[in-house]
Amino acid sequence: MDGIAWASSAMVAARTRLEIATANLANVSTDGFRKHVARGRLTASGVEVDPLVATAQGALRRTGRDFDFAIAGDGWFRVRDGSSIRPTRDGAFVRDRDGRLRDDAGRALQGRHGDLIVPAGASVDERGAVVVAGRVVDSIALPSASALRTGFLETANTDAVTEMVDVMAAQRSFESAEKVVATIDAASRKAAGDVAALK
Amino acid sequence: MNRALYAAATGMAAAQTNLDVISDNLANADVAGFKGATATFAEIGGAGGPGLGTVSLGEHIVFTQGKLMKSGGPFDVAIDGPGFFSLDDGRGGRAYSRDGSFSRCADGTLRNAQGWRLSGVRLSADALSASVSGDGSVSVTSPGGTRVVAHLRLAEFPAPERLRAIGNTLFAQTPQSGPARLVAPNEENGPRVRFGQLEQSNVSIVEAMMQILTAQRAYEANAKGVQAADEMLRIADNLSRG
Repeated sequence: MDGIAWASSAMVAARTRLEIATANLANVSTDGFRKHVARGRLTASGVEVDPLVATAQGALRRTGRDFDFAIAGDGWFRVRDGSSIRPTRDGAFVRDRDGRLRDDAGRALQGRHGDLIVPAGASVDERGAVVVAGRVVDSIALPSASALRTGFLETANTDAVTEMVDVMAAQRSFESAEKVVATIDAASRKAAGDVAALK
Repeated sequence: MNRALYAAATGMAAAQTNLDVISDNLANADVAGFKGATATFAEIGGAGGPGLGTVSLGEHIVFTQGKLMKSGGPFDVAIDGPGFFSLDDGRGGRAYSRDGSFSRCADGTLRNAQGWRLSGVRLSADALSASVSGDGSVSVTSPGGTRVVAHLRLAEFPAPERLRAIGNTLFAQTPQSGPARLVAPNEENGPRVRFGQLEQSNVSIVEAMMQILTAQRAYEANAKGVQAADEMLRIADNLSRG
């Protein structure tokens, strides 16, 4: 492989790094957000960057609301978007008059059998069970090792500082790769000129 | 690069939205009965790869209890627990509020600062003073003695968080909130009313200041992201010029 192709693969990799960092940066205020991390690897055609989802727990922020939930540990909330079910770590819900819990996008939180219904006066315990007068009526399915924290939200598992450093690093590595491309380009141009002068 | 540029731009817009909501909370931190709002955001997912930024889902009002404080007003009432004061404007309009600072008018009604009347309560013309007990009974002291003249009822909703804020700490019923149900305050298992006290806003100034700083940093960081993407576009452009 020639040098220009190698250096330009590094430029493309730096671009991907920037895309990952800015996408993370945009979501520093998104509760339950899971950042991507860039993992570089060498291939026959140069450097490639794969985005991987970082599953580290985000910090819990106290809100005091009855229907703000955070999962401490593994697991996901399942929300119904029309007819499809999506996983999310964002546990900010508002209770409707029919007892359904919906997020601000209108998606309904799922229990064991379809939409979770929280009757008036019911509470949600740390196992995710909806309890009415001592009786469990439904529950948010969670892995047994996880706990549900009511009155808390999980913040994004990244922060502005980390991501800004990544933005700068991506920009610098893009610049260095560009210098290499420009240097090889200049060298081969000079070589081409010298060879032409030999005639 | 365009992808990064747009992602960072959505981040700036989100930080701006967040700043708007937080500064509104902060501006009203001293208003009795005010309930703060919170803005929520969601990731714009990329298929399998990094996302395309963030999108605002809107905001919802946070109805957590504010602190109760002793006040100097002659007819200040606070609600300890769920529920709202039921107000009317005398022309068929209805509103609900947690702000319990009322003053007595010449016609015997109790009105808030915007002129809304506390529904169902009217003091007799010869009343020298009035008070509300924990169960909501309003008694007046007149030259003839003390007697109960009205019972204060609080409005509760099936879905209070679906009420619509109409300004001045007032809320309006919506089809989503369900109809108001009038309940009597109850000393044993709430909601209770506290005479001579006012409910402070549920906005913590310290927390709001911290949120403003964080939102500001998020804005700056995303602006840096836009700059970086732009700079890289420029470099790539120079390269093609040789």
